[in-house]
Amino acid sequence: MIDAIVELCAEQGYEATKIADIVSRAGVARKTLYDNFDGKEDLFLSAFDLYLSEAKTAVAAACDSTGGGWQQRIESGLAGLLRFVGDHPTAARMCLVEATSATRSASLRYEAAIADFVAMLKENAPPDVELPETIEESLVGGVAWILHQWTRSSEPRRIAELLPELSQFVLSPYNGSKNFQTGKRK
Amino acid sequence: MERLPRGRHGLSPEYVAQNQRERLIIGLTEVLYEVGYQSTTVSLIGQRAAVSKSDFYKHFESKDDCFYAAYETAIERIREVVIVACAEHGDDEWPPRVRNAITSMIALLASDPPLAGIALVEGLRAGRGVYDRYQAALESFVPYLREGAPSAPDGGEVPAATDEAVIGGIASLLGRRVLAGEVEELDELTPAVLEFALTPYLGTVEARRIVSAG
Repeated sequence: MIDAIVELCAEQGYEATKIADIVSRAGVARKTLYDNFDGKEDLFLSAFDLYLSEAKTAVAAACDSTGGGWQQRIESGLAGLLRFVGDHPTAARMCLVEATSATRSASLRYEAAIADFVAMLKENAPPDVELPETIEESLVGGVAWILHQWTRSSEPRRIAELLPELSQFVLSPYNGSKNFQTGKRK
Repeated sequence: MERLPRGRHGLSPEYVAQNQRERLIIGLTEVLYEVGYQSTTVSLIGQRAAVSKSDFYKHFESKDDCFYAAYETAIERIREVVIVACAEHGDDEWPPRVRNAITSMIALLASDPPLAGIALVEGLRAGRGVYDRYQAALESFVPYLREGAPSAPDGGEVPAATDEAVIGGIASLLGRRVLAGEVEELDELTPAVLEFALTPYLGTVEARRIVSAG
């Protein structure tokens, strides 16, 4: 049933997805759905929570998989996130695109998820830098926006190719001591 | 916007129609900010704009139709402020131009909570039909940032994803503050937003120097 709502949301959106579509796609009786979930919104939120929790686990594991310092941890965590999104394009679309507009609860759940990733980035960021309080929130919002665009594009699986660009973007505020060259872009 | 005088006023029908349309757009934007998209109805919009329901349908097919017009109007207002702010600086003055654009844009949003609400919150949340408009709106601000931007630390071109991530990050941060009911304090975020926007291009040290030079 979780798979069914994820697929249907990707195909036609939350609003247009009816309970009848879900049970028919999942091949279960209507009663089975209501035995397990309060209704469409509850099922949607359950699917959201499931994928969010898997994504967070994947990112945390990716951070821990490197023996390196904060730079390697952030880069590896970002790689883990892109891999997860690339491996689950329909679920990513549901969590990133549909969740913001599906219902009020879903939208709050989405904002809480952003806050979770902000906390993860803060944990891994170097402690000795005097950056704005909101820097992690801005960086996570920026990465989320790039992911939004990619989940809506025709080839979401190529998302891993964005890693070098996004790493550079996320790491730039923490590379405080580096003296950037100035020059003109063409 | 003031409603027009009753009775004989000698105003042309075109003027009356245009005035009504503008009042409906403002009415929707205000009601939306107060009660949210779901609870915004054609009746509430009409009441706020002092326009009858039948006149509403002369201008718009539906609440959604009125919403799209109001959304485009909001984005246009923000874009105008950004364009004016950018025009005050030459092509070779990228950091002050970006500073002026970001400062002016945030000042406008902080001074007009319903405008901030429709542009930053409802654009993403009012449903599937609006999503394309939200994406197009955000993308339309990318050229103002990209134009004349300096090269990356290694001397190469700053990747395209950076410009978009900066714009998306600013919209996300400001939108979250509006959602949290802190729209009037958006101004306080200006230095942080500016530092965030400049850093990928200039590095932390130079970005901070420009921010504190205010």
